[in-house]
Amino acid sequence: MSLELLIDILIATVPLMLIFATLFAFTTWLERKVLARIQNRRGPNKVGIPCTRISLFGLGQPAADGIKMLFKEDIVPRGADRLFHLLAPILALIPAMLVLCFLPLDFPWVNEDSVKAFLLDGAVIFFFAITGLNTLAVFMAGWASRNKYSLLGGMRAVAQMVSYEIPLVLSAVIVVMMVGSLNAAEIAGEQTGGHWFVFSPWGFAAFVIFFIAALAETNRSPFDLPEAESEIIAGYFTEYSGFKFALFFLGEYIAMFAISGLAVTLFFGGGDGPGLAAAPWLSVVWFLTKIFALIAVMIWLRGTLPRLRVDQLMGFAWKFMLPLSILNILVAGFAWHAEQLDNTFITVITWVISLAVLYGAASGLNQLNRPNVRPREYKYAE
Amino acid sequence: MNEVVAFWILSAVAVLGALVAVRKRNLIHGVFALLVFFAGLSGLFLLLLAEFIAAVQVLVYIGAVGVLLLFAIMLTERVAGDDDRRMTSRGWSWGLVMAAAVFVVLLLPPILQLPSPEAAQPIKPSVEELGHKLMNPYVVTLEVLALLLTAALIGAVTAAQGVRMPKEENSPE
Repeated sequence: MSLELLIDILIATVPLMLIFATLFAFTTWLERKVLARIQNRRGPNKVGIPCTRISLFGLGQPAADGIKMLFKEDIVPRGADRLFHLLAPILALIPAMLVLCFLPLDFPWVNEDSVKAFLLDGAVIFFFAITGLNTLAVFMAGWASRNKYSLLGGMRAVAQMVSYEIPLVLSAVIVVMMVGSLNAAEIAGEQTGGHWFVFSPWGFAAFVIFFIAALAETNRSPFDLPEAESEIIAGYFTEYSGFKFALFFLGEYIAMFAISGLAVTLFFGGGDGPGLAAAPWLSVVWFLTKIFALIAVMIWLRGTLPRLRVDQLMGFAWKFMLPLSILNILVAGFAWHAEQLDNTFITVITWVISLAVLYGAASGLNQLNRPNVRPREYKYAE
Repeated sequence: MNEVVAFWILSAVAVLGALVAVRKRNLIHGVFALLVFFAGLSGLFLLLLAEFIAAVQVLVYIGAVGVLLLFAIMLTERVAGDDDRRMTSRGWSWGLVMAAAVFVVLLLPPILQLPSPEAAQPIKPSVEELGHKLMNPYVVTLEVLALLLTAALIGAVTAAQGVRMPKEENSPE
């Protein structure tokens, strides 16, 4: 391997890891602060610059947490599978880190001619393929811990991730269909100038489905059943402590960034935004800003929504999201043909019809899925 | 040179994964070793510039088939993975004969027909080309397959729903 190639690769990848690891630290702080605000608490507010009394809104908390994690004792249960117990957190982090390179983040310092993963013709497929590996890590952790709660959490995670991967991919299919490419940069490039896919009925429906499925894929609340602390302690990482636990934590947040990044690429025009003509480097800033907007929504949902039940979770994926996303593909197909005609009147008609169809389908599915429960009859109590 | 080194590393990973998958008593270890083999295979596809097939290999074999295997094991009584029962290894000579037969009949003829690396025509395998091929000459096959998979999906949902029992009247309270 030539030295220049190695340097090129390092220049392209190391900043990516550093940026997202820093964002991870900041997001943990932000999440705790926002959740605290929602619950009328203060959140972390003591740790700031060491050896001074400056607390900076508790911004030093992530660093303190990190140091604590590093020095904690690493406990492995006696019955555990030691090898798998060690491998699982690593396997959880690697795919999450790996898919970051498929996001069309055009860093100004990266060489123009160097190989960029997001320019691959199959970048989006690679993204889905590699994020799917996270399921295995979760299962591995649950199984290797030799703990009933861990195994239950692992099983829940696998069932949930397998179910929600289908609507996730099917809603991404719409964008791929509209653009006619799986190349992440091309998909983002198609939407420059504010022509984002989220600003169309089919695109909006696809984005909503994608976002909900992404929440489930990353085990975020309200889909945090695999780690439901009121039911199964901490789910698949019950038996993890110290740095292994930190790796799971990091992997989960990086996966959140990655899937939000894909949502930004597919539906929000990637790095598109005002002022790009004057300063092309702004595209990275816009991209990260949009990711953060989505993360903020995730935090907000976590503070607001209660957890789903297992049957509600499965029913929602298979009986609501799946039919709706399949229908949405049909709608998008018709819309694509209508757009080819390039006629304003037809475009307006298409928008109205597709809005009506999607809204009707959503409310119809909602009606169909009403649980068949009669009002409770009280026999002995009045 | 890089490619040769990568080829040998990936092949070693794949072969080792396959061997461990066959030899391991512990079913879960076996499944994960099989997944390592799939990963090695996917790397080999990537080395051949068949990026789409590499991605699909990961998506379908590691993602879907692997999880399916794990699910299947979870539904058996061997969840714990440790299995002290002896595995019968009586038929191994027949297995060897079958493997040799597969190699000679199915694999050897195409290998012998391969042109030498110098004479091979350079092709540009790309996802775009694949997409055009799928949409143009093979569109009927694609549609039939899509229909089949959709039917399987709907069938799975229906099967999972179970049989709706007719409601009994005057059920005992």
